[in-house]
Amino acid sequence: MTITLACRQLDVSIASVQVVQQLELEIHSGSFWAMLGPNGVGKTTLLNCLAGLRAADHGEVKLRGRAIQSMPRRQLARQLGMLQQHSAYVFDSSVLQTALTGRHPHLGLLEREGPADFDLARSALNSVDLQDFEDRCVTTLSGGEARRLAFASLLVQQASVMLLDEPSNHLDLKHQVQIMQMIRGLSVQQDGIAIAALHDVNLAMSYCSHALLLLGSGKWQAGPVGEMLTEANLERTFGCPVEALQGKNGLRFYPLTNP
Amino acid sequence: MMPTAIQRLLIPMLLVTTAIVILIATLLGSVPMSMHEWWLAISNPAAEQGEVIWRLRLPRVAAAWAVGALLSLSGCLMQVLLRNPLADPYILGVSGGAAFATLLGMSLGVTAAFIPALALLGSLFSILLVFGLARGEGPWSSTRLLLTGVVTASGWAALISLILALGSDSSLRGMLFWLIGDLGYAKAPVWSFLILALAFGLCLALARSLNVLAIGESTARLLGESTEKLLWLLYLLASVLTATAVSIAGSIGFVGLIVPHLVRLMVGSDHRRLLPAATLFGGLFLVVADTLARTLLAPRQLPVGVITALLGVPLFLLLLNRAKVK
Repeated sequence: MTITLACRQLDVSIASVQVVQQLELEIHSGSFWAMLGPNGVGKTTLLNCLAGLRAADHGEVKLRGRAIQSMPRRQLARQLGMLQQHSAYVFDSSVLQTALTGRHPHLGLLEREGPADFDLARSALNSVDLQDFEDRCVTTLSGGEARRLAFASLLVQQASVMLLDEPSNHLDLKHQVQIMQMIRGLSVQQDGIAIAALHDVNLAMSYCSHALLLLGSGKWQAGPVGEMLTEANLERTFGCPVEALQGKNGLRFYPLTNP
Repeated sequence: MMPTAIQRLLIPMLLVTTAIVILIATLLGSVPMSMHEWWLAISNPAAEQGEVIWRLRLPRVAAAWAVGALLSLSGCLMQVLLRNPLADPYILGVSGGAAFATLLGMSLGVTAAFIPALALLGSLFSILLVFGLARGEGPWSSTRLLLTGVVTASGWAALISLILALGSDSSLRGMLFWLIGDLGYAKAPVWSFLILALAFGLCLALARSLNVLAIGESTARLLGESTEKLLWLLYLLASVLTATAVSIAGSIGFVGLIVPHLVRLMVGSDHRRLLPAATLFGGLFLVVADTLARTLLAPRQLPVGVITALLGVPLFLLLLNRAKVK
């Protein structure tokens, strides 16, 4: 079944920063969008808005034709999940217990997690190489491990729309690739939707199907990755000259440096 | 995750220990009793020794248990509410409001019978004051609640110091005992148990929501919680629990901070285990502390708050140290 996340005439701002103006976007299932833009342009703010965590100044975000602001949070949480930029755990909870929190919107008031929920959590931990950490206390995890745990909780949530705020943050090369592949698998191959704020242009180039460029002052540009990620566009977005080189798997971008 | 042995056995162990401790607590006192006499007294409420047990010792044990349970449950809630493992039931000024009203009453010569009511009124006033001020305009956050509550608490502290400075020497001792927390004349009315039971049931139903809230406010929202409502509910529940405890026995320290911590170390942070265990453990802890308070230097009675602090501080430091090693 096709699902669509749509932005209609969306204006979003935070403090004095205009993030987007009149954003018109239709994101269909089976696509993995990269959101690219310089620091402080408002990527997190826009993601929060798409997740219904903050209200837009104008316009609306619709999921399957319904404005998400008007949906009950629990109902929304079964369809849309988000990996936040920071995952800092304060209380001593176990890794498995934390992964299981992804089941929260799916369980009734007094319902306890059943064997199927535990299986889901274990397989999610397995897929981010945390299978041996089940009983570890979350406050003792490294930055990268905490990040992978937060991603595992998102997998356990089984939401068809995944918003990801810098999913490759804190991760080593192997896990960056592993997680990007998983996101691509869940979106492009399994008809979900993923939107990720990214800083690595080449990860976007390798795994995403579409890109949204935030150019500052509310200006934006959106389209398939091949059309969006060009030397000229990237230079315009980041204000830094970029060179495209042909790699084994297609074009890759490098900032031009003056030694 | 299979519950570990301690997680499975803690609740039954707590229940058994509570029964034993209550037995011992009612045995001890200025009228010494053997087990046999104790049994006769229990089965003969009208006899002289029956009176001692039924009219003096049991009500005091019940009051100690209720206050310990109320404060511990409130401490667990405050810690999630403020997402700070160091939060205690008094941090948002509930006890400050109670203390101000009580001490003002004492300095004006109000009779002891009205003190619980004054304490309750003072804390309810403080709860509403913080509620109103923190709500204000704009988005709500636990940071804002924390700041409003802490500042309100310091305001109360200033007024309390003023009353203490102006108070007559004869009233100072009573004021001090109240501030430290004392179960000497405490009675736990039936409604305090009702409040405990009601809040406990409600919190247990919300336990999984508390688990996700403990990770973070926005995480909880993303997992389907209407956090604003949940946070206000928690604030009100925790405050009313505290107000009830404070109206019974003054501001007994450390129970609401130490017990949630101790129990977390034993059963972990899942509120479905934590809340029942902390409530039971809190009641038990205070019965033990109060029994020590009235027997250590008998016939002199110590304010129980001294004992909870004397037990609590080293225990807390020990735990912190252990946590570092782990």
